[in-house]
Amino acid sequence: MSDDEHHFESSDSGASKTFPQQAGNIRKSGFIVIKGRPCRVVEVSTSKTGKHGHAKCHFVAIDIFNGKKLEDIVPSSHNCDVPHVNRLDYQLIDISEDGFISLLTDSGGTKDDLKLPTDDFLAAHMKSGFEEGKEVVVTVMSSMGEEQICAVKEVGGGK
Amino acid sequence: MLGFSNDSAGGGVGAEDLAQLQSTMRAIELACSYIQINSNPVAAEATILSLHQSPQPYKACRYILEHSQVPNARFQAAAAIREAAIREWSFLATDDKGGLISFCLSYVMQHANSSEGYVLSKVSSVAAQLMKRGWLEFTPAEKEVFFYQINQAILGSRGLDVQFIGINFLESLVSEFSPSTSSAMGLPREFHENCRKSLEQNFLKTFYQWAKDAALSVTNKIIESHSSVPEVKVCNATLRLMYQILNWEFRYSKGGTRASINVFSDGIRPDNASARKTECIIVQPGASWCDVLLSSSHVGWLINLYSSVRQKFDLEGYWLDCPVAVSARKLIVQLCSLAGEIFPSNNVQMREQHLLLLLSGVLPWIDPPDVISKEIEEGRSGSEMIDGCRALLSIGTVTTPVVFDQLLRSLRPFGTLTLLSMLMGEVVKVLMANSTDEETWSYEARDILLDTWTTLLASMDGSGGNAWLPPEGMHAAASLFSLIVESELKVASASATTTEDDADCLASVSAMDERLGSYALIARAAVDATIPFLAKLFSDRVACLHQGRGTVDPTETLEEVYSLLLIVGHVLADEGEGETALVPDALQSHFVDVVEANNHPVVVLSSSIIKFAEQCLDAEMRSSIFSPRLMEAVIWFLARWSFTYLMLVEDCNLGSNQLQSLPSRACLFTFFNEHNQGKFVLDIIVRISLTSLMSYPGEKDLQELICFQLLHALVRRRNICFHLLSLDSWRKLANAFANDKSLFLLNSGSQRSLAQTLVLSAYGMQSSDASNQYVKDLMAHMTSSLVDLSNNSDLKNLAQRPDIIMLVSCVLERLRGAASATEPRTQRAIYEMGLAVMNPVLRLLEVYKHESAVIYLLLKFVVDWVDGQLSYLEAHETAVVINFCMSLLQMYSSHNIGKISLSLSSTLLNEAKTEKYKDLRALLQLLSHLCSKDMVDFSSDSIETQSTNISQVVYFGLHIITPLITLELLKYPKLCFDYFSLISHMLEVYPETLAQLNNDAFSHVLTTVDFGLHQQDVDIVTMCLRALKALASYHYKEKNAGNSGLGSHAAGHTDPNGVFHEGILSRFLRTLLHFLLFEDYSTDLVSTAADALFPLILCEPNLYQGLGNELIEKQANPNFKTRLANALQVLTTSNQLSSSLDRLNYQRFRKNLNNFLVEVRGFLKTR
Repeated sequence: MSDDEHHFESSDSGASKTFPQQAGNIRKSGFIVIKGRPCRVVEVSTSKTGKHGHAKCHFVAIDIFNGKKLEDIVPSSHNCDVPHVNRLDYQLIDISEDGFISLLTDSGGTKDDLKLPTDDFLAAHMKSGFEEGKEVVVTVMSSMGEEQICAVKEVGGGK
Repeated sequence: MLGFSNDSAGGGVGAEDLAQLQSTMRAIELACSYIQINSNPVAAEATILSLHQSPQPYKACRYILEHSQVPNARFQAAAAIREAAIREWSFLATDDKGGLISFCLSYVMQHANSSEGYVLSKVSSVAAQLMKRGWLEFTPAEKEVFFYQINQAILGSRGLDVQFIGINFLESLVSEFSPSTSSAMGLPREFHENCRKSLEQNFLKTFYQWAKDAALSVTNKIIESHSSVPEVKVCNATLRLMYQILNWEFRYSKGGTRASINVFSDGIRPDNASARKTECIIVQPGASWCDVLLSSSHVGWLINLYSSVRQKFDLEGYWLDCPVAVSARKLIVQLCSLAGEIFPSNNVQMREQHLLLLLSGVLPWIDPPDVISKEIEEGRSGSEMIDGCRALLSIGTVTTPVVFDQLLRSLRPFGTLTLLSMLMGEVVKVLMANSTDEETWSYEARDILLDTWTTLLASMDGSGGNAWLPPEGMHAAASLFSLIVESELKVASASATTTEDDADCLASVSAMDERLGSYALIARAAVDATIPFLAKLFSDRVACLHQGRGTVDPTETLEEVYSLLLIVGHVLADEGEGETALVPDALQSHFVDVVEANNHPVVVLSSSIIKFAEQCLDAEMRSSIFSPRLMEAVIWFLARWSFTYLMLVEDCNLGSNQLQSLPSRACLFTFFNEHNQGKFVLDIIVRISLTSLMSYPGEKDLQELICFQLLHALVRRRNICFHLLSLDSWRKLANAFANDKSLFLLNSGSQRSLAQTLVLSAYGMQSSDASNQYVKDLMAHMTSSLVDLSNNSDLKNLAQRPDIIMLVSCVLERLRGAASATEPRTQRAIYEMGLAVMNPVLRLLEVYKHESAVIYLLLKFVVDWVDGQLSYLEAHETAVVINFCMSLLQMYSSHNIGKISLSLSSTLLNEAKTEKYKDLRALLQLLSHLCSKDMVDFSSDSIETQSTNISQVVYFGLHIITPLITLELLKYPKLCFDYFSLISHMLEVYPETLAQLNNDAFSHVLTTVDFGLHQQDVDIVTMCLRALKALASYHYKEKNAGNSGLGSHAAGHTDPNGVFHEGILSRFLRTLLHFLLFEDYSTDLVSTAADALFPLILCEPNLYQGLGNELIEKQANPNFKTRLANALQVLTTSNQLSSSLDRLNYQRFRKNLNNFLVEVRGFLKTR
């Protein structure tokens, strides 16, 4: 019972921004592209086109970057685009005066193009954690050419 | 003297007083008018409240009542009398008590013709409440004085208005004495119960008699006069009173059973948990009521009254909805459900005559059905007809079908069943004609009549199949059924083109299921006619589909076939939810002259449907006829049918009745068994399943029906598994599952269910080895794909790709499905499957730490796998599993503790919280399963060799989880349940672990237990009580053995501010006592609570003494004081209770506590 249908080699990792997936298979809390935006599905309902027709899916989804709500209806046997959403952890190494932050990448380099989050509580939390010398891990979500901080965690250390 | 005794009435008010009284009256009048125009209502309310709360406001109230021109002020004055008198009752002199009541009574009688009815009924209800308050103190002579006055009023000697007032007062009185409608007085339950008993035994019947006499006194006037007369109002009141009295929940009249108070919860009538929509309360007043209700031609009078007035107003359509007509009909319907000891057991005729009399009275409302329904459609009120249906329901509830049918025969050339059938037939016709969605009389009538059929037929169904309806009744049922089916089909084809809203659809499915269940009962009452009828309808529709193929739009016919499949499914088989479904008795016992299976109507009908279903295997047919919706009905039917008929094992599915030897029955049973058509049909079913799974992509509902209902039902039967494995079609299904891409597209629940089903079918292999090999082959591809992925060097990037996420999710669902199908025969293979993916699981937990959907699947797989495996594992294997779970827990907590997510969308943040909640639940379940190893263990090792200490793992797990659990989260019922079952289990098995927890964790756990004790859910409270028992008995035993037990946790401590905090056991002793004495709870909790209370008392004897004394001191009534003191004494001493915690003592204490609560809750708990 073995075959070679599933290959995990990825020669062009990250090259493709989206993948096709059958609409009937996209679940609540899964990702979907609607009107060119990467979204997370918050509601799926199915209905039929006429009593004896085929099923179609009604998605309500939220843009993962700007929080806006979008909707779409797709026949459930058709394909939808699903965005490639990557989330990477970085260690916070510096917060500069102008609100930009420095992150340490896996390869040892730095990533300096992100600002502190606009949420005041979180920004203050990051600052205080950083100033107290704790190890602060920042999770950055990226998809379809955009990126944003999506979570922060203190690993302890410091005083 | 408070100015209310009779002698002081009238005179004796000084000038000064008068001025005072007038100013009070003004103030109240002003306040009332302010409230009405809504200007400064707060101040106005305060003024009124001050009157209510002032000490002894009776004089002022009386003055207002007698002099004020503002009705609202009079109303408020009456209310104030009630408030004050209830509050000050025990200080009032006996004369004043009586005085207040007689003032109220004479007030209402004097003002009987006043137009402000609400003031009068308020005053009258105040009189009733005060009378109840003094009920147990007044001597019979005192009561006699009041009731003489009332009786005189009711007899009508003082005019109609007074007569009405008298009846009205009795109405208030009866409702005050009935537990569900009484007003609160701050008195013990016992008081209310004694009042109720006294009224029921000594007065209720007299009141009824009075009402009857009053009604009789006005009857002639009403019948003779030609227009509406004031007597009607009195008559209506008497009818209402009689109805109310018969609604009384009679308790003390049943011979022999002495009812006692239910001290544990308020005595409100529990809902009858029947599926019926219409309420039908059986009236059982007991033998002593025979003279009032039966032997005095009461019923005859009532029927006569109604019919003569009805005749008089025949032309006035509105009359049917007049209050007096409605009340009279209500009383008639109620009398139809009279039952119990009121009918002497040696006098059957009496009962039948009673019902016959009623039926003859009701008959004009419903017979002839066609004429009546036509009149209603032309604008007459439907209420009378609906009451007629209710009367039939009532009669059906208290009789057997045969008696029911006989009743009408002396009045009509046909039986009651025929009438019932005709009546319902008319209603169905009306429903068919106007298929609007509007709720009309016909909907209500249909539901009531359907309930009547269900009531009558359900009493026959399951009685061994020998009770048949009389032939005419069968005929009636058959013709009704064909009408019903015709109307259902018409509705179906009419709705074919409308697109309904999904939500509507779901709600109507369960309603429809219930309705079809009732239809099936009717069909089964006349199977000789209905089964061939259904077969004919089905083949007609199928022929119609074939003829029109490609030329005519089949939608309407498809919808009809859809409906037919549902109806036939209900008629042929019951829903075998959770148990073996039997072939319905009616189908087994009829068709006696059939000797060849091919001619058996049930076989004919079943075969024709299976043959039809088989056609969906053809691609062309599929696209032209078998729409997804039709397939759903086909699969639903096959699942229900095969569970009842396919490959029956003798003795098991046959039931044991006297029908064994019928040849017709034998051929029904053997036709679809393994030696006959069974295997062939099974093959068709499997092929249909596979085809539908592959050919209807994205049809979620259909896939779920196939996986959850059809296939799952097949493997639940062991003998079918053997045949499944020998089928080529089943092998194809297994192969497609392992290799075919299209089955990876099923939705997650279906994936899981399919995996479970396939693994379960391995039972059909010859040996355990073969079964294990089968599972291994089936799952090898899944495990290896996970292993390959986790070994991929680029896993971190690769894993984030949507297609890989989907693949991983799918494989995990399948692994979880397989894990949940663990059985002794396949346990080895599934253990190895889990073992192979342990490392991959941990790696995936790492890479998917931000993808909560995958994390949840990982956790759930581990939960189910551990649950299935743990009890079989040997010591070294257990160690492996435990270590794995430890790593999993550690990794999960390191990812999640201290993490703060952010998002611009609050919806997404909430979603994230929900996901955390689900994870937490899974972790709790995992810990609970780990705990169970110490309880259920099938391994060959002895307990000593157990190398891993599970309590340590669970202890560690609890440390990880408790910070994540908040009281807020415990409001989710499922999480709450899981959490407390873990906690109670932990404390019962490893109380010492808890003692080792640090202060914070310890108090956190106990705060949650305290929280749990106050939950509504009986299970949660039970688990908390068990936890408490475990805790207290552990402490007590350790202490006795000279150890520290819970140590400082139990001893209490003094905080830096010098405030003493008492130990946890003391705290719980208080809480538990308060709970037991003053709160409402189910009786089921008493024994568990006793088990917790006993060790708590032993641990803290001094505190217990103190609390007991405190309670005794609080009682004002010296009688209660002694009773409480005695009861407390008995609680801890009777039944030779000693201070050791053994089974015997627990048992004794349970008994003691139960007696104690019965003794004291009656007066401690007030209402």
